[in-house]
Amino acid sequence: MAKILVVDDEEHIRLLYSEELRDAGYEVITAESGHKLLERIEEEKPDLVILDIKMVDYDGLDLLQDIRSRFYDLPVILSTAYDTFKEDSKSIAADYYVVKSFDLTELKKKIAMALETHLPG
Amino acid sequence: MIAVEENPQNVQQADIVVAIPTFNEAAFIGRAVEIVGRGLREHYPDRSSVIINCDNHSVDGTREAFFQAPVEVPRLYLSTEPNRRGKGANLRMLLEKLTALNPHAVLILEADITNMAPVWVRLFLEPVFRGAAYVTPLYVRHKYESTLTSTVVYPMLRCLYGRRVRQPDAGDCAFRGDLVGAFLNAPAWSEAVDGTGIDVWMGTVALTCRVPVWQSLIGSPKRHRAKDPFAHLAARFRNILTAMFDQMAAYAHLWTRVKWSKPTALFNLDGHEMDNPPLVEINAARLHQRFLEGFPENESLWRQVFDPAVMNKLDEIRRMPYEQFTFPSQTWAAVLFDAACAYQRLENQERPRLLDSLIPLYLGKVVAFVKRTERMSVQQAEDHVEETCAIFEEYKPYLVDRWPS
Repeated sequence: MAKILVVDDEEHIRLLYSEELRDAGYEVITAESGHKLLERIEEEKPDLVILDIKMVDYDGLDLLQDIRSRFYDLPVILSTAYDTFKEDSKSIAADYYVVKSFDLTELKKKIAMALETHLPG
Repeated sequence: MIAVEENPQNVQQADIVVAIPTFNEAAFIGRAVEIVGRGLREHYPDRSSVIINCDNHSVDGTREAFFQAPVEVPRLYLSTEPNRRGKGANLRMLLEKLTALNPHAVLILEADITNMAPVWVRLFLEPVFRGAAYVTPLYVRHKYESTLTSTVVYPMLRCLYGRRVRQPDAGDCAFRGDLVGAFLNAPAWSEAVDGTGIDVWMGTVALTCRVPVWQSLIGSPKRHRAKDPFAHLAARFRNILTAMFDQMAAYAHLWTRVKWSKPTALFNLDGHEMDNPPLVEINAARLHQRFLEGFPENESLWRQVFDPAVMNKLDEIRRMPYEQFTFPSQTWAAVLFDAACAYQRLENQERPRLLDSLIPLYLGKVVAFVKRTERMSVQQAEDHVEETCAIFEEYKPYLVDRWPS
């Protein structure tokens, strides 16, 4: 079972994602901020991270760079309420992005794609 | 093969090699050497370095201008034999020399970049010192600049090899010294690679080595000698597709197993865009005309190459009035995938005819791209390119199923 780490400072989003993604067969763990995120990733070894871009104390795009520099190939999906973030070139280091919605069809599709991605070594 | 070598400072080893390939660049190489020299002095004063001019036996005084440039960095001049031309031939010679110099990092910059700045040396080389094996630039580009990259090279390399490298054929790159052996031993070197196919060829070799590939945000456009993007298109198109299709045969065991794609690491994220890209104007009506003119000449060949459903779609596109013209990305992907498969089945002497026949279709795709993005910002046009790439990835099983075993 793939393990997904949801990083979002909005409780209702963490609950929504957790419930729906568990129903879809994933193991879900959550974090309410970017505090010690890299240590958490090191410890929990998630297969994928869903990362909110705008959190009260953290910039998701900066966290994305931190993740990318330490876990080069860990799939990261950016989750955002606005799609203006694409103007920031940091966002191209993400595997995919989704605009937040109560309908998680798009998110589930991107999760499946990110987990299926295969680059033979 | 190195026909001429001049090494007045007797350089035997260097941590950093900066190579400048040329053919008759006397007007530009002096400035390039000066900028590179300043960049090396400012950013890597403690590392041994050498600037190498890899020349095609220029007759305009390039060699003299190279040595006369007022910099302290040691210089080395290499030239191919008089009748051997092409950037690939220059770089092949460089690779041979690099085995002796054993550098930690290598940077290749084209001579005629008029806005090159000393910091570019750092923007390309620093990722190598931080763990990258191959570095490509992300220049600031107008949405219509390098349409061959946006519509062919980027979508194809991304769906084949699974890495999102946006400007893999930018012409400038940096790499770790230990990749030299991989380049020298890599398959599918050809006459096309001797010429303008070299950039795609090197990028592909790096992608297939499964080493860390980074992109570096340069923050500026690449300004060079004014060039008509559609001048010399036939030769460039043929060289690039030859390199790409030959490498597909060589690396089929790898790319047929690649599914979807992944981003690369990025460097210089805190850098700011300092300069707007030069405006690129495209005469879409003229290109549309050339698209239509391609049918009578190539239709019988296309019917042998393309799936009947693709051919029907092309017929449909041909009948569209210019005002409503579109060229769906699924059809474009199928055109390139069918052509890649047909290329493998053809004899060597038949292949150029196939590649040349694709040019009108490529121009049709450019027309559709221009019409679709004409009111879009650069960012929106970029999103459209990303959507096209996603379609190529989604449609890749079509290619894998048809690939000749």
